Amino acid sequence: MMEILAMLQLPFMQRALIAGIALGLILPFLGVFVTLRRMSFFGDGIAHATLAGVAIGIVAGVSPFLTALGIGALFGAGVYLLERKTNLSSDAIIGVLFTGGLAIGIVLISLQTGYQPELLSFLFGSILSVGPQDLGIIVGFSAAIVLALLMLLRQLTLLALDKETAWLYGVRTEFLDFFFYVLLSVTIVLGVKLLGIILVSALLIIPPTIAKMLAPSFKTLIGGSVIAGEAFIVLGLMLSFLLDLPSGATIILVGVVAFLLVAMRQIVLRAPIR
Amino acid sequence: MDDRYAVQAEQLWFSYGSDDPILQDVSFSIPQGSIAAIIGPNGSGKTTLLKILLGFLFPQQGKVWILGKTPQQARGDVAYVSQRFSFDKSFPITVLEFLQLSHPQCAKEKIVQYLSHLKIAETLNMKLGSLSEGQLQRVLIERAMLGDPKILFLDEPAAGIDIGGEQPFYELVLHLHREHGSTVIMVSHELDVVANYAGLVLCLNRKLVCQGKPEQALSPETLRELYGKEVALYHHRDRS
Repeated sequence: MMEILAMLQLPFMQRALIAGIALGLILPFLGVFVTLRRMSFFGDGIAHATLAGVAIGIVAGVSPFLTALGIGALFGAGVYLLERKTNLSSDAIIGVLFTGGLAIGIVLISLQTGYQPELLSFLFGSILSVGPQDLGIIVGFSAAIVLALLMLLRQLTLLALDKETAWLYGVRTEFLDFFFYVLLSVTIVLGVKLLGIILVSALLIIPPTIAKMLAPSFKTLIGGSVIAGEAFIVLGLMLSFLLDLPSGATIILVGVVAFLLVAMRQIVLRAPIR
Repeated sequence: MDDRYAVQAEQLWFSYGSDDPILQDVSFSIPQGSIAAIIGPNGSGKTTLLKILLGFLFPQQGKVWILGKTPQQARGDVAYVSQRFSFDKSFPITVLEFLQLSHPQCAKEKIVQYLSHLKIAETLNMKLGSLSEGQLQRVLIERAMLGDPKILFLDEPAAGIDIGGEQPFYELVLHLHREHGSTVIMVSHELDVVANYAGLVLCLNRKLVCQGKPEQALSPETLRELYGKEVALYHHRDRS
């Protein structure tokens, strides 16, 4: 208990917790639509392509977080346009952009000499890596994203369920689709500081997947996803601090354990009676 | 354009990419308040035509007016039930939530009343993914009708319903048509359904082969021309 209180006194831990709580709100919330639209690979792809943005920032000597945000939004818009203007499948487009972004990142970083600690923190996530400026960016963007999600909740749900009918009900489907891709890309990049490029998309997927197994309605699905996301982040950050483990991996492992418990419960409840 | 007509289509041409046109010079009019059926073999352009009328697709040539307006302007006046409503069945949305999502201004009492009318009142708080095909189609019909549309478009709406459920389903559509005065335009493979319920039949095989009342349009000669083989309708005297 004393250790937890001591931990909460530390400025870097306070920043990590505040950033985590903001991310625990937006990643699972958007994750509901990602799982509904079966776009899990998109999240993974954007996160990996972000390495190009990080590398550009490092090479140019500017905030890699900001360049990653710009590149992430650009990749999201690129996937959207290529999906509509070519006959290629979404998987193929994301696969090419994902590996392309990684390749650009690796080439640029290889041109740099010496150890790149910032790069490692982007790859695996670190509670030490959230600086005051990063915190401002994460909290500011998260507030705007939550506001946008609440305002567009009905339209986004209609779009995810059935695009054609959504259009008939007055939804500007093409614009909203584009907006969703960019919003999702930015949200994923916001999470890479704490969770890491490799693991950030898990927080999009695991909370809604667990909530789907338990929720009796759509409202409880969203609420349950956010509560689960927040719980994984807070518990994962504490364990990360106490056990000196990487923050991203610890948060995701907490989520995976919760998923296994809920899945086992469902298996037991659905087991046929012999 | 003439607003006595629910739909007016003029010399429509449409092709997907560089393929041969799936619609070739298709023109027709459907008066308001009628039940019209679009029939034709697979790949004849029925669903494409419906999607153009709904404004989901744009014809490369030709014009469409819905109630005297463009399909884009008329989207608040129409409703649509698609051939297959495919969604993630594990997605936990209740029937009430689903209907309120489409019609946020609609009172819960009206939703409950419609569900009772459709004989699926028990589904109100059930998850959409747990419904049978027949129940789901009724929920989709309710979603379409809750907005009191002037035109109801149905694309093979009974495709997922078992044989015994088809007739009650179409009786329900007929009842809704009479009660609301909506124009109903349906794509159907079921010639017996078309003969029993439609007042106007459009026979489509990329071109409009014929149009008229069922007794004219469903003649053995027309059907042979449309389907390219012997197809005929046999009427059973004891049909109830």
